[in-house]
Amino acid sequence: MADLTKLKAGELALLQGNEAIARGALEAGLSLAAAYPGNPSSEILESLADSAASAGIYVEWSANEKVALESAAAASFTGLRAMASMKQNGVNVAQDFICNLTISGTQGGIVLITADDPSGISSTNEEDARFIARLADLPLLEPSTPAECLAMVKFAFDLSEAIGNLVVLRSLSRLSHTRAGVVPGPLPTGRPQPFWDPKQIWNTVPVVPRHQAMKDKLAKAGQIMAQSGFNAYSGPESPDLLVIASGSSALYAAEAAGLLGVDRRVGLLKLGCTWPLDQALLRKHLADSERVLFAEEVDPFIETEVKALYAQQAAELGIKQFFGKASGHLPQIGELTPGRLAGAMAAILGLTWQPAEPQYLQAARETISRLVPFREFGFCPGCPHRASYWAIKQALSLDGRQGVVSGDIGCYTLGVHSTGFRRVNSVHCMGSGLGISSGLGKLKSLGFQQPVVGVVGDSTFFHAALPGLVNARWNQADYLLIVLDNSATAMTGFQPHPGTGQTASGQPGTAVDVEQVCRALGIDCQVVDPYDLAAAQQAVYQAVQGEPGLKVLIFRRLCALVQGRQGGHPYRMRVDQSLCRGDECGCHRFCSRAFRCPGLNFDQAAGRAVIDEVVCVGCGVCAQICPAGAIRAEAKEAAA
Amino acid sequence: MTQSPAAGQPAAASLERLKAQVLEAGLCVACGACVGLCPYVIFHDGQVAAPDVCGLEDGRCIDVCPQAPVPDPSQKRAGLLQALGRPQALPLGPLREVWWARALCPDQQGRVQYGGVVSTLVALALQEGLIGEAVLTQAGPEGAPEGVRARTRQEVLAAAGSIYAAGGALSALNQALAEASDHALGLVGLPCQALAAASLAAHPRHAQGARLKLVIGLFCTLNLSARGLRGVLQAAGVRGPLTRSDFPPPPAGVLEVTTAQGTTAIPLEEVRPVVLKGCALCPDLSAELADISVGAAEGRPGWNTILVRSEQGQRLLDLARAQGLLELTEMPGESRQHLSTAAANKRARAAQAWKERADG
Ligand SMILES: Cc1cc2nc3c(=O)[nH]c(=O)nc-3n(C[C@H](O)[C@H](O)[C@H](O)COP(=O)(O)OP(=O)(O)OC[C@H]3O[C@@H](n4cnc5c(N)ncnc54)[C@H](O)[C@@H]3O)c2cc1C
Ligand code: SF4
Ligand code: SF4
Ligand code: SF4
Ligand code: SF4
Repeated sequence: MADLTKLKAGELALLQGNEAIARGALEAGLSLAAAYPGNPSSEILESLADSAASAGIYVEWSANEKVALESAAAASFTGLRAMASMKQNGVNVAQDFICNLTISGTQGGIVLITADDPSGISSTNEEDARFIARLADLPLLEPSTPAECLAMVKFAFDLSEAIGNLVVLRSLSRLSHTRAGVVPGPLPTGRPQPFWDPKQIWNTVPVVPRHQAMKDKLAKAGQIMAQSGFNAYSGPESPDLLVIASGSSALYAAEAAGLLGVDRRVGLLKLGCTWPLDQALLRKHLADSERVLFAEEVDPFIETEVKALYAQQAAELGIKQFFGKASGHLPQIGELTPGRLAGAMAAILGLTWQPAEPQYLQAARETISRLVPFREFGFCPGCPHRASYWAIKQALSLDGRQGVVSGDIGCYTLGVHSTGFRRVNSVHCMGSGLGISSGLGKLKSLGFQQPVVGVVGDSTFFHAALPGLVNARWNQADYLLIVLDNSATAMTGFQPHPGTGQTASGQPGTAVDVEQVCRALGIDCQVVDPYDLAAAQQAVYQAVQGEPGLKVLIFRRLCALVQGRQGGHPYRMRVDQSLCRGDECGCHRFCSRAFRCPGLNFDQAAGRAVIDEVVCVGCGVCAQICPAGAIRAEAKEAAA
Repeated sequence: MTQSPAAGQPAAASLERLKAQVLEAGLCVACGACVGLCPYVIFHDGQVAAPDVCGLEDGRCIDVCPQAPVPDPSQKRAGLLQALGRPQALPLGPLREVWWARALCPDQQGRVQYGGVVSTLVALALQEGLIGEAVLTQAGPEGAPEGVRARTRQEVLAAAGSIYAAGGALSALNQALAEASDHALGLVGLPCQALAAASLAAHPRHAQGARLKLVIGLFCTLNLSARGLRGVLQAAGVRGPLTRSDFPPPPAGVLEVTTAQGTTAIPLEEVRPVVLKGCALCPDLSAELADISVGAAEGRPGWNTILVRSEQGQRLLDLARAQGLLELTEMPGESRQHLSTAAANKRARAAQAWKERADG
């Protein structure tokens, strides 16, 4: 990412939503930013990290989202402005702290960014994190464009300081990763001296009066937000249909009305401040329209609240018809699109709407499958996880007691697919694989006889796995934990983590060693290179067959992409087709059918395997699985 | 009789059939014939497993498996004997000569199981160039038996003595057959392994199989699972590698195991749970598909029974006799009768087990 302090105030720049959020925070005088990586939020902290030196701010990748927000709160208590950014799942991790922070209150402006991922494009779940605003009585802002991102973040810091509480700003995948023109404002000069008056106590008791204070802060926020100009109406005075929309959906709604040619019949109330809702504004627009459609992602958040508001004023407002997710006009799940909204509007207004040529999608799919070679959802060529799951699969199969593998969050989550030989039996949230393993590891006394293996990445290990491990140690759970240590947070874009010993801004930190942590807990722990398939298989086999108890294997091998950047892999691979057994009995394309590295292809014409030299990175692992010794690894220098 | 699959039912892939009908049915006897024939079947610590899906429909793995369901198992044996040019003979299989014997090789003392006939014959076959390499069974690093390949007398002696557990030695035969060499190969194997080896050698799509030129069969009534045996030994407090094990003849009723610490007798009731379930299907006491079969000599410790079955077996025995390597004596008629009865009983039990299997 680029140093955002280099942007010139007043000069139009093309910025990603995430960069606009970061720039807005810099313009607001941010002093500390902390985050845990996760799509689609990661670039916010990355661009702040790259601006940290010039802006003179402190930026960190934290061990998890809760710690990130706690660090930000610490800065706020000393009067500095601070921000924590995360994806929707991170809000869950931080939730307990949020629900207490909102009672204690804050001092320096503090903003929580949640970047949600409708349709779960790069997530394990689909979740609308706006729930946190209602749950914790926090003001909520929803920008629709990068320019609004910048403006709303600045506003959010002022608002936070005005009410003395956390403010939530919610982005979306489409917004975070969209680039659009943004005009940056000036950067501040100077910052307050951080100071915590020792007479000041930030806590939550007495709870009930503090709870009242929190409600009062929200009410005050509502008044300020009503003046913000972030809620805007466009359209006729008494529209045939009022669309109430937020976020990206507001843009989709405008586009849909245009597509249908009903701009003059449809009014669009675009809400940028969605909690608390501006009741006076809503009452006015409800009065002007008989029919209301809600456009938002993903849950019917505004929809439900507006209907509740209407219920209290129904006598004055008269009969209304509400459309949206509850009525079935829009889906309850997944992203919205202009097409979906056009369909809903047409149905409500009695128009016909033809999304595209009916066969268009079909034709597009056919064309793609003709022109684009099939690639399964899989690990990269040379990925150590493929080797790790291979060893786990072989060992559990030889063990023969139908062992189960509890997975976790990271690239290795793909173990549920064929690329990981479907060797992962459960995946939920960060760290939960260890808790599940711990539970399974105690079921023996209840008759559970299958061996239990947990897999966790190195970054996830530090994020939320430790309590599960401590629990297993304490309660003597019987399972094998395999730490897939590729020394990277690869899934989210190679951010450093506690094990890598680098900080967000590229400075040296203190590397925290998984092995030492395990040993300190008194757990038997062994480091294995998963590229050595036989050794890795043997280690897993011995662990599951051996004495019961908690054991840790660290499968340590650098992520193939990181290795690629650091000089690459050592081999140039080739299949000796005179030795290859092809699809005859005796092999039946074992390399491409069973091992499935994308670097291994089958040469249909020759009826023999072939290395795809463009794709293969030269890790050499597949040479170990060929029964005929046909896959040859030569040192790259020698081959060149 | 075995039911033929319902008409019109698609033939399932070979490995998937082997998995369902033998491996997952718990009937595998770890002979090793399917192991290493291709990489889809693996073996470790006495255990055979097939972790991946192969999908090939006319594969050899199921054809060579002695435990794969066939409409008529005795028909299959008769066919293989015929291919070898030997008659089917019940209950002991084809016989040219029958002897009691022991080796006259002092360096074998204390290492061989009984009379040391097997080790002597294997070493001789190597020395005389009848075979270039022999596939034997030996304890691996974790104590479980596994296939080994021997070219010297030293290597043969290193594998002497019986291990009462299944060791998948035919995987070593497969490995040797896959290499680009043409020397003749020999095998020491249990009756199930002699059957599987005959199937391998006769397989129309395994040209290399013809390199198997000598099979020395061992008598066998049952075998144990390697991991099961380890558990039994642990439970009996036996520590350290076994230097000898034996099922002494009735009425002993024990498995006798010797380690550096001494000898322990483990009652048969403790051993029975780890007997391979698949052994119940085996009709063959004396390895009828071998060139020459060797077992214990009833009531005569330190001696073996020898059954010579083929020309090749005869040649080897004659060589041994000519070189004064063996002391031979006639097998008493009563013992021969006992052996025949035991062999007939095993056939009858197995026939019943196959019938039950077919009836599901
Ligand atoms: C599982 C098993 C069950 C047996 N059951 C009987 C029986 O019921 N009645 C009977 O008379 N004899 C039985 N035998 C045969 C007997 O134990 C002797 O192997 C045989 O008499 C040859 O004796 P020897 O002194 O010539 O052996 P040695 O010269 O010591 O040679 C023994 C050979 O056996 C091979 N061997 C050892 N363990 C195994 C194994 N697990 N699988 C395959 N090969 C192996 C070795 O490679 C070695 O070459 C059994 C053997 C085994 C392995
Ligand atoms: S595993 Fe080896 S023999 Fe089999 S197809 Fe691949 S290269 Fe050929
Ligand atoms: S060497 Fe083999 S396993 Fe490694 S990247 Fe190349 S094809 Fe894939
Ligand atoms: S032996 Fe042949 S059919 Fe059987 S698993 Fe191997 S390749 Fe497939
Ligand atoms: S009995 Fe032999 S051939 Fe059959 S599955 Fe077991 S090891 Fe393979």
